[in-house]
Amino acid sequence: MTIADVVKVLNGKLMAGDAASPRVVGAVVANDLMSDVLLFDADDALLLTSLASDQAIRTAHIVGAMGVVVHNAKPLSETMIKVANDLHIPLVSSPLSKYDACVKMHDALEMENRA
Amino acid sequence: MENYTPTIITGEQQQDDEIFAKIPAFDADGQAGHVTLPSGDGSVIIMELLQRFKVRDVMKRTVISVSRGTKMREAQRIMRENRISGLPVSEEGRLFGIVSVNDIINALDNGWIDEPCENHMASSLVVLEAGMPLAYALRYFNNYTYGRFPVLDSSRKLVGIISQRDVMRALLYELSVEIRKLERKAARGTNAGPEHASGENYFRKEFAVVHNDLGSAGRAANEIKQILKERKIDRSIARRVAVAAYELEINICIHSHGGILTFILADDKITIRAKDRGPGIPDIEWACRDGTSTANDWIRSMGFGAGMGLSNSKRVSDEFDIKSEVGKFTQVTCVFSLSAKQE
Repeated sequence: MTIADVVKVLNGKLMAGDAASPRVVGAVVANDLMSDVLLFDADDALLLTSLASDQAIRTAHIVGAMGVVVHNAKPLSETMIKVANDLHIPLVSSPLSKYDACVKMHDALEMENRA
Repeated sequence: MENYTPTIITGEQQQDDEIFAKIPAFDADGQAGHVTLPSGDGSVIIMELLQRFKVRDVMKRTVISVSRGTKMREAQRIMRENRISGLPVSEEGRLFGIVSVNDIINALDNGWIDEPCENHMASSLVVLEAGMPLAYALRYFNNYTYGRFPVLDSSRKLVGIISQRDVMRALLYELSVEIRKLERKAARGTNAGPEHASGENYFRKEFAVVHNDLGSAGRAANEIKQILKERKIDRSIARRVAVAAYELEINICIHSHGGILTFILADDKITIRAKDRGPGIPDIEWACRDGTSTANDWIRSMGFGAGMGLSNSKRVSDEFDIKSEVGKFTQVTCVFSLSAKQE
């Protein structure tokens, strides 16, 4: 599942980064505490968070995440979008709640695994 | 005039743009030259000096001033004899205004040189606070055309005056001290200690980390991650190094008064060292435990402050060392071995 697929599954909008990025979701981490995310040891993770700040993007870059989704359609600052573009981290805004976003991602990944 | 209060502008509670919108349109003697502040990529030593030094360290503490009732002619005499181009008008530490050379010229031109200062002084004032970092003062000199700023303490009392010359003198002195240190270090050459070990891939970079600047915090760690990627360091090691760098950078930013994050890449190991000036840690064992934190809600709202910084850094490192002196500094060193995984 690429970032373009994530945008579709979560009814989201790509706010920064390359829509055609070929990287696929290797794992999903849903967390608002960046120190927890830093300990999450999986490559190409998709970070689902309500933390609409530069630090979410910087953390994603440190752990080699493939993208960041901010749920609840939280407003994203210009600097957050700039940092995401600078660090080449696709940034998605989704209107879904964290719980709903997790369920949708889980279902979509299950479907993909079965196919 | 008893209840008269001047308009005083400081930068503490306002955004720069708001301040600049309020630049008072009065005299602009003492034409300020433009000093370009180093950006995030500037010299670490200069960045550090500009943060470490406060306005109070550099300002003149003996302020020659006059009272509101002093005649303009008397002000002119005091300015001439002391060779100063701006004279604060204050009483018992309370600042009311400033008389500048331009005000004197206007007074002579218009025939009010025998009137009291309070009638013709500038009362819309831009001031600095004694505790502001010197970087602030430099920015003020760049953005306003005034040659000097009165300095107030936290109780709004006039405690000094600062001119560009004062800043220049202090910076030149401190820079010569720092450069002398570097020269001595260079002269010692390879005997300077194990971290100066050379090697084919040896690389070292220092990053200045500013207290409370959470907007920039993480930049050094992101850059370190990038360097590791470019140098094709094993992905899992690169990740561990970046995690430690990030946590320590955030720690300096939120808990200390500022410091330096050093990244050293040698043939067999990578070292991340975070050294800060600051309150120090009274109980290191407690601080290194998971979940213990002195962070406030603001830090938590930025996604940090859960008390995992030190324990996370320790967890990802092959060697971990922490030293601290209360009231002085904290230094954390994380070492990552490259020999096991690199081949």
